[in-house]
Order: sequence, then structure tokens, then C-alpha cells
Amino acid sequence: MANSGRRALLEVEGLTVEFPGVRALDNVHFDVAAGEVHALVGENGAGKSTLLKVLGGLHRPSAGAIRLGGNAYRPRRPSDAMHAGIAVIYQEFNLYPDLSVAENVFSGREPFHRFSRGIRYAEINSRAAALFATLGVSIDPAAAVNSLTVSEQQLVEIAKALSVNGRIIVMDEPTAALSADEVARLLDVVRRLRAEGRSVIYVSHRLDEVFAVADRVTVLRDGKHVRTSPLAGTSTDELVRLMVGRDIASMFHRDDVADGDVVLELDRVSAGRQLREVSMTVRAGEIVGIGGVAGAGQPELSQVIFGAVPLKSGQMRLGGNAYRPKGPADAMKAGVGFLHEDRKTAGILPDLTVRHNLTISVLDKVRGALGRLLSPSAELDIFSTYRARLAIRTTGPDQLIGQLSGGNQQKVLFGRALAPGARLLILNEPTRGVDIGAKVEIHHLINEITADGAGVIMISSDLPELLGISDRVYVFASGQIVGHLTGDDRTEENVMLCATTGRKIFSEAAS
Amino acid sequence: MKRSLGGLWDTWGITAILLLLLAVAPVLTPDFFSLDNAQSVLRESAYLGIVAAGMTFAIASGAFDLSVGGQLALCSVVSLMGFAAGGTVLAVAAALATGLACGLVNASLITRLAVPPFVATLGTLFVFRGVAYILTKDGPKTLPYDQIGSPFVKIGGLNVAGLPVPFLIMLAVYAAAWLLMRRTATGRRVLAYGSSPEAARFCGISPTRLRVFVFALVGVSVGIAALTYITRVWTADGSAQDGFELKVIAAVVLGGTSLKGGKGTLIGTFSAVLLVSVLNDMLVSEGVPSAYQRIVLGGVLIIALTIDGLRTRFAAPGSLRRAVTGLGGRTPKTGLAR
Repeated sequence: MANSGRRALLEVEGLTVEFPGVRALDNVHFDVAAGEVHALVGENGAGKSTLLKVLGGLHRPSAGAIRLGGNAYRPRRPSDAMHAGIAVIYQEFNLYPDLSVAENVFSGREPFHRFSRGIRYAEINSRAAALFATLGVSIDPAAAVNSLTVSEQQLVEIAKALSVNGRIIVMDEPTAALSADEVARLLDVVRRLRAEGRSVIYVSHRLDEVFAVADRVTVLRDGKHVRTSPLAGTSTDELVRLMVGRDIASMFHRDDVADGDVVLELDRVSAGRQLREVSMTVRAGEIVGIGGVAGAGQPELSQVIFGAVPLKSGQMRLGGNAYRPKGPADAMKAGVGFLHEDRKTAGILPDLTVRHNLTISVLDKVRGALGRLLSPSAELDIFSTYRARLAIRTTGPDQLIGQLSGGNQQKVLFGRALAPGARLLILNEPTRGVDIGAKVEIHHLINEITADGAGVIMISSDLPELLGISDRVYVFASGQIVGHLTGDDRTEENVMLCATTGRKIFSEAAS
Repeated sequence: MKRSLGGLWDTWGITAILLLLLAVAPVLTPDFFSLDNAQSVLRESAYLGIVAAGMTFAIASGAFDLSVGGQLALCSVVSLMGFAAGGTVLAVAAALATGLACGLVNASLITRLAVPPFVATLGTLFVFRGVAYILTKDGPKTLPYDQIGSPFVKIGGLNVAGLPVPFLIMLAVYAAAWLLMRRTATGRRVLAYGSSPEAARFCGISPTRLRVFVFALVGVSVGIAALTYITRVWTADGSAQDGFELKVIAAVVLGGTSLKGGKGTLIGTFSAVLLVSVLNDMLVSEGVPSAYQRIVLGGVLIIALTIDGLRTRFAAPGSLRRAVTGLGGRTPKTGLAR
């Protein structure tokens, strides 16, 4: 093993990071040896990203110490990390899409011609090509970054890290958007980096990759260090248990609602870049949960049903009839309501009032006596109805929606989705970024909606929520359904197994 | 229902300034409220005001139409040709149809070829003016003197109950535009789209249909404005109303419609149009040379936008830091499609 007997290159001790009201990291310790690939795993919110941001100089710890090669390491800004030889590759790349590969690799450190002060392109291009050669890949240094695939952009980030002579390269979910071939190539690159004596901190949801490439693994849960151990002798199931290892909070409540007729039926539906051959059903009165690692095709699934991305192949049926919406307006007319996962940029209409945000989906129904003109009093009625039903806390119908809390904004958007009389509701991350009180209210509301006879598809990366209120759960990986969990099979362990290892679990009772 | 002071300022601020200006106007210009002068101010404001009403929709939807100057020249020339060929009916039809056609050309460039509105309408500004120049290469089109008795020719100069007809047309346009913006589904969708195009898409609003509507509406407003314009000046060629587009946009922005989209106030635009006309009139009566008039108009615009910019900048959380550090401009972007 790479760690034994060798002095640790990076040592983290008692690291605590506090944000207002939250302790994101609590007394975390771990160490990385030179020439080691160290995996960092945990559920969403376990503190992995916070730890990376401390290493990268974006967050400052409230307590604890980090030593790098025996010396205190206290980065105050990203450039400190760079100078210390720690290169963090975040999930969102830091690349200038319009500049060339070589310009990105040497961004801010370009060598200039002595007199003209122009960039020495020949030099940076050949140096970039040399870096790619050590990685065992060929990318044209003069190509524009926006012409590259995601995996090639990843390699540009890695080359950037090598160019500053990074001793420790930190990768945050590097394979989230890669295909199987590209993943294999990336893992090869990671092994090459280790062979050169560099250390890699590898953060991933995908345990099969962790087992394939890492020497040791550290598990974080709820901001706390759970265990650090060599991967040899550790099993997948053990890791999953360590990652989840907590009581499913009793706050999740699901009413007993009798299933009705099938509302939605998908038959080998493909759409977008990801979604391939997905078949599923949703019944009236049912909450169907969709789980899996982020970006495994869930957005495409919800948007193809709502008509926001075109169907590539397959069939959809809504209420027994063939269904192929030409756009969201069509879907709404057919009785499909939709909640976007990104409330801020694709949910609220920030310059409009609460009332107008609510009625935008039913403008055809708030016409007054004058035929085509909108009736302000009819709009007020709708506002009053949903304010009471959803307990929206607002100063009044004319308050701008941006002034409401996240939870109350979300309730307004629920009202907007329900107002056209939806019989199928697609909820993307319904409680993301809302406080605990609003979360309980929203769960209560989802229960009510199904009691009224609508079917609900709920996409959630919050496992306790997904399992706590869904009747059945489909698990997605790489755009396909890899699990269908009903009854007692609905456990966090099973969801994580399907999502992270590619193992398939289909409950017997599943229809 | 309580409304914030800021909200009140958005709609009525410019109107308050207009009233203030009207209060001091007679002191500076003794004959300001003489019937002749007042009528002339209102008459002059009509074509600017009518186009500004249409432009309010474009800007509220988050776009611009820079081509309105070219459209006005083209509509005027074609309308004058129509009058020569077939009298009043053809003149009116030609102006409206030309405006609509111009709007549809803009809309198809923007929606079909995916050219940003700014670029598309900057291009068509030159194209429309160019066509107007070609049509008048043998000299400007004019209203013939022997038709001086025709009702069409009289539109520009006529008064009804003491109010100039062009101003009455403008009033009617604003009444219709206000209803369209505040009391119709289409108007609401324009504001929704301007506020967040992505969110609007998920509300079932079709970006294509919305943009076609907005640019067609601007075109038709230019067609109406052209009728009040040619019956006032009796002549037009390719150079008619050079720089008109910027005056229109200035008036709309001065009125309080946000350049970022999502907000549009026709009351504000209306007041701003009158403010610009009154200011112009005062400067002319004071004998201020026209070069200085432009400087004053530009200064007023900059002051108004500075006040507005400071207000919105300091209203948003975290914005002070952005304003100071200048962050938030060009940031590295991920290559991942979101």
C-alpha cells in the first residue's frame, strides 16, 4: 500500500468549517501520502465539497490545521493553493470556452515575447502538447476549448494542474458527465499521475471507480469523519453502509392513498443526450420517486414528459391516449404540471408579483366579462385560493416573488403547476434549498395532491426524502433505469448500490 | 395594498418630473401655455410617442428594435407613394402594411436565423433606410399641393376640441397599449418572458411566437407614427428622422422601463415622451442652439439612468460587492451544457 511507512504529504487535523447555522465540517482528519490515490466518498451534503474548497483556498476553516510536506498550509485564496502545488479541479470547470487549449493551460502565466509583448504561442503550444503526451492523450493545443468534448476539457484542467507542477491533484466528481470509454481513459490518466509520484484526491459517487483506482478511502457523513481505510479488504456494501449509516428521520410521512388507473406510461423512451430506452408507469394517487446520481438522465426524463425536450424514440401515453406534446404549453393543456429543479433561473419570474407568478399558467382562465381582457379580480381569487391552500407567507398579492423565502417561492411555483388542474405532476427536487419547516409542509402538500387523484413523479437527490414519501422508486444511472424498488426493497443502501455500482435491482412485485 | 416607494417611483417618478417642469415652464418661457405653443408641443410629440409605445413592449421583453428609424423612413416613403397612387385609403394601408412587413422581417431574422435582436435590427436599420433611399433616388416623395383639401393631408394640422389630431391618435395608441400590457394574456407573457426567458419557457410561453408578436407590434406602431409624421412634414426620403431609434429608446428608458426586461410602464413612457418634447420646446424658445439641445437630452438620460442604476444596484443583495469589484462580468464558464 502506498501509505504504509511513508510520510504523509498532506495532513488534515481537526478541521471544522462553520457557515451561519450549519457546521459543514466537524473535526475532520485525514491524510494523503505522496504517490497515493485517496478517494473521498459520502452522500450529498456530507462535506466533501466543503473540504475540497478549503484545500483550494475558497473557504477558511474555523478550527483545525492542515500541513503540507510538514509545513503549515493556510491558503487564503485559490492562487495560494496553486503556488503550494495543490490543484483542485471542480465539477464546474474553470475554462475560458473561446480561448485555445494552450491559452487555458497557461492562463495568467503566459510567456511573452520580449519586444512585442505578444504571447509566445509556439512555446505554449509545444509545452501543452508535451503535457498531454505525459498523460497519454492527444489534444490539439491550438483548438478552442468550446470545440472539445467534456472529457477533453477535463484533461485540459488536468494539464493545467500539471503545468503548475501540482503535487496534489484534487478531482471533484470527474466522471459525472463522461461515457464509459472516457471514464476508462480518465482512470488511466489517474494511474499515470500516481506512477509519476503525484497524489490524487478522488471524489466520486461511483464506488466502482473508487475501487478501480484508489489506494485508500475516507468516508464522510454529515460533515464528520467516519473512517479511513485501505480499499483492499473493504467491500462495496460496507462502504455504502458507512456512507448512509443513519436513521431515516421519522419526519417523512406518506399517507395511504389507493392507486388508481395508470396516468402515464412510457415505452422505451429516448431523449436528449442521456435518456435511453426508458419504460415506466405512474398511477393516479401514486408518488413515484426517481433517484440516482445527479445528471443520470433525470432532467431529460422530466423535460421530455413536459414537452420541453423532443422525444427521440419510443411512445408515451397519458390517461390511456397517445401523448406527444409539441411543447410545454401542450403538456400543460393535457394536464401535466412541472416544477423545475432550478428555481432561481428557470422557476420564478423575478420581476413579477406573487399573484402574476401564480396565474401565468392559467391566463386563459382568468378572462373577465370583456372577453379577451384579464380580470384582476379573478386573478385575486386564484391568489387567495392558493395562498390559503399552500400557506404561502407573503405580504400580499402585489409583493414581488423575489422577496419571499425559498420555501415560499417554491409553494408559489407549486401553485403555478397545480393551477391548470394537473393530473400528473413532475416535481424536480421539490425541497431543494428550502428550510426544514417548509420541507415538511411541501411533503404534506404532495400527499394531498395524490389524495386528490393526481399522479406524482418526484425526482430527488435527497435520499431520505426520496424513500420517505415515494411509493415506488426508479433508480437511474447513465440515462437508464437500473433499479425499481418497491416495498421493503426501498432502502438507501439499494439506491446507492444501483446508482454507484451499476448493479441492477428489480423488486419482484414490480409491475 | 401597500406599495413600496420604489415601485411608485418606477411608474410615476418621471410623471412627477414632467409636472415639475410644466410648473416652471411658464416662468422661463412666458408664452409656453399659449394655445399655439401647447398644440405644437403635443403635435411634435406624436410620432416619437407612438413608436415609443411599441418599443416599450420590445424592451419589456428584453429586446431592442434599433431599426425603427429606418422603418419610419420606409413607411413614410411608401405611404406617400400610396397616396399618390390611390389616395387616403392606400396611403394608410401602405404605411401599416410596410410597418408590419418590417417587423416580420426582423422577427424572422431573430427567430429563424437566431440572430440576436440587437444585431438583427442594427442590420435592418441600414437595409430599411437603404430601400427608402432607393425609392426616392429621383427626389423626396411629397404630398401634392393640389390635394391640400384632402382629409388625409389635414391629419397632421387638424385640431379637435383644441387638441391636435396626431396627439389624439397617440392618446388612443397609449390607451390600447396600456390595456394590452396590463389586461391581456399577451402583455403578461411579454413581461414574463422579459423577466426570465428560461422560466417563461417552462410556463408554456413560446419564445418564437412572443418575439414575432413584439416585433410586429413595433412595426405597426411605426406605421401609425409614419402617418402622423408625413401629414405633418409633407415629405420624406431615406434620410427622414436620422437618429430616431435612439430618441425612442431614450424615451422608453427615461420612462422607467428596465433595459433588462421584465418591467414596462406605458405611463412612464408617455410622460417621458412629453418631457422630452417640453424640454425641447423650452430650449428652442430660449434660443438654445440645436447642438446644445442634444447635449441637454443626453444629460437628462444619463442622470435618469444613473439614479435608476444606483437604485437597482443597491437593492439587490451582494450587488454592492459586485459593483465595487466589478466581478460578474466575464467569468470562466464550464463547458458542460446545463
